[in-house]
Amino acid sequence: MRSMNAFAYPHYRKRGNHMNRLLEDRKAAFIFIAPAFLLFTLILFVPIIQVIYYSLCNYTGLTKPDFIGLKNYIDLFTSDETMKIALKNSIFFMLFSGITQQIIGLFMAVLLTNIKAGRNLFKNIYYLPCVLSSAALGLLWAFLFNPKIGINNLLSSFGIQGPNWLFDTKGFIPLPMWVIGFVALWQYVGQNMMLYMAQISGISRDIYEASYIDGASKGQSFRFITMPLIKPMLVTTLSLNCIGSLKFFDLIYNMTQGGPNHRTDVLATHLYTQGFKYYKYGYASAISIVLLILCLLATFLINKCIKVETYES
Amino acid sequence: MRIEDNQKIKKKITVTSVLLYAFLIALALVYLLPLVWMLSVSLKSNRDVLTSPFTPPTVLQVGNYIFAWTKGQLGVATLNSVIVCSSALIISLLIGAMAAFAIARMRLGFLKYMMQYFLIGMMIPVHCVLIPLFVRFSNWHLTNQMIGLIIPYITFSLPMTIFLMTGFFKSMPNEIFEAACIDGCSIYGCFIRIGLPLSRVGMFVAGIMTFVGNWNELLLAMVFISDTAKKTLPVTLTYFVGPYSTNYVQMFAAIIIAIAPTIVVYSIFSNQIVDGLTTGAVKG
Repeated sequence: MRSMNAFAYPHYRKRGNHMNRLLEDRKAAFIFIAPAFLLFTLILFVPIIQVIYYSLCNYTGLTKPDFIGLKNYIDLFTSDETMKIALKNSIFFMLFSGITQQIIGLFMAVLLTNIKAGRNLFKNIYYLPCVLSSAALGLLWAFLFNPKIGINNLLSSFGIQGPNWLFDTKGFIPLPMWVIGFVALWQYVGQNMMLYMAQISGISRDIYEASYIDGASKGQSFRFITMPLIKPMLVTTLSLNCIGSLKFFDLIYNMTQGGPNHRTDVLATHLYTQGFKYYKYGYASAISIVLLILCLLATFLINKCIKVETYES
Repeated sequence: MRIEDNQKIKKKITVTSVLLYAFLIALALVYLLPLVWMLSVSLKSNRDVLTSPFTPPTVLQVGNYIFAWTKGQLGVATLNSVIVCSSALIISLLIGAMAAFAIARMRLGFLKYMMQYFLIGMMIPVHCVLIPLFVRFSNWHLTNQMIGLIIPYITFSLPMTIFLMTGFFKSMPNEIFEAACIDGCSIYGCFIRIGLPLSRVGMFVAGIMTFVGNWNELLLAMVFISDTAKKTLPVTLTYFVGPYSTNYVQMFAAIIIAIAPTIVVYSIFSNQIVDGLTTGAVKG
């Protein structure tokens, strides 16, 4: 098209050339990209290479890093009980957040796209906690789940003895982890809802009308039209959920600080304790690498396993 | 018969929609009640909270706020947060918009890989680079200074900014830039005189997300700043917590102070924020 135009209208070719020269200006492109690229490389990618090296060292911050091979990793996976709990909790948290936030987020999105009045109002209310500080909300919920005061006070007025929400240690996944999972769900489900709503409102009305003419029920049209067409968003939201829950720190730090007895530690809190309470930089670096690998693995698996077909729309 | 049927259908629809709205309102209460309750607790005295936490306050204890603001260092912390977040916001928006402009509009092979490079940043948690960054910044004497917090905040805001802004720059019609070229505008002029003014919505959304994200950031601020006078809001909040702390009312006053600015900004601009975010995400 462009070349045809260029033959037919000589002035267009001239204009195109001038435009192309501008848009292929290497020097300008470098100037535009350079600050972001330099910052990114220096603050993000060089440290990642360093963290790989540190994870192979005995390093406490006082002395120079001392290369000890894989010892940190061996310690991490054989003799560190807290690491086992942290890994278990992090994976539980990822699965719990992934599943509940997907299902409930999609459910809320479908409900909200089906109502006529007040859609924006409800959407804005449900999305509100996403922009608030998890540190602050963690304090709020820690107070509400206090053994005596918040919810248990309410329950006791009905004569029910409430459980020890944040201090219970029984079970493979102790009660505090479920409580924190619930709070995370409360706070972040709005993000999935909002992204799914955007995707659903992008689907053409005609497809639904055609399906109703063919006799499809609401449920069928959801199963065979909505579900396949929002699949690309599934990859985005699920990646966000999984990475977000793996790097979870603020809520746990402010609700339980990893306690009681490390039962609610996750990888991020374990890393913080080892690195900045005990100053075991090398050891904490090994935890960082485990966390990084989990994040990359989750993203890779989600992108590999969920096949996205593109439809003409 | 026919009319009756129609009425039946109409009635059924209203019943379901009543149930639907009842559910949605109940859910909205689950979201709003904890916040309202927090406001009510922050205005009570400690004794009232322990005896009857769920009743509204009888005497408004404004002193809680004064205590949190002065003794609890919230005033200083708010100022620090404002300084750190605004500087990070301005610089990251400028740098991010420049990179996004090149990626979206210029035709050079390597720019495609640049986009991928920046997007990888979205997958990497801050925690992974915390230790080397801390070591390096201590060597450069950047820890315990606000600049040491601003630099990482800029960097970690870039992927989101570039992602959103690229979408906005791509959606601009080519003709505008061609017309500017004919009038002798340079590529820098295209960016400053056309790209930036036309992407105001994108800048606004990216800006709010950057600001809010940094305003709430806890881990980096906790590790990098040890001087009480330089701490940001989320870190200062954590001092109100503790297993034996009984200063509940002041804690809640502090939380309200910390989240009030976000709530105000969000209530004013929520529609623009949510719409802007979703257009960026769906396009990308």
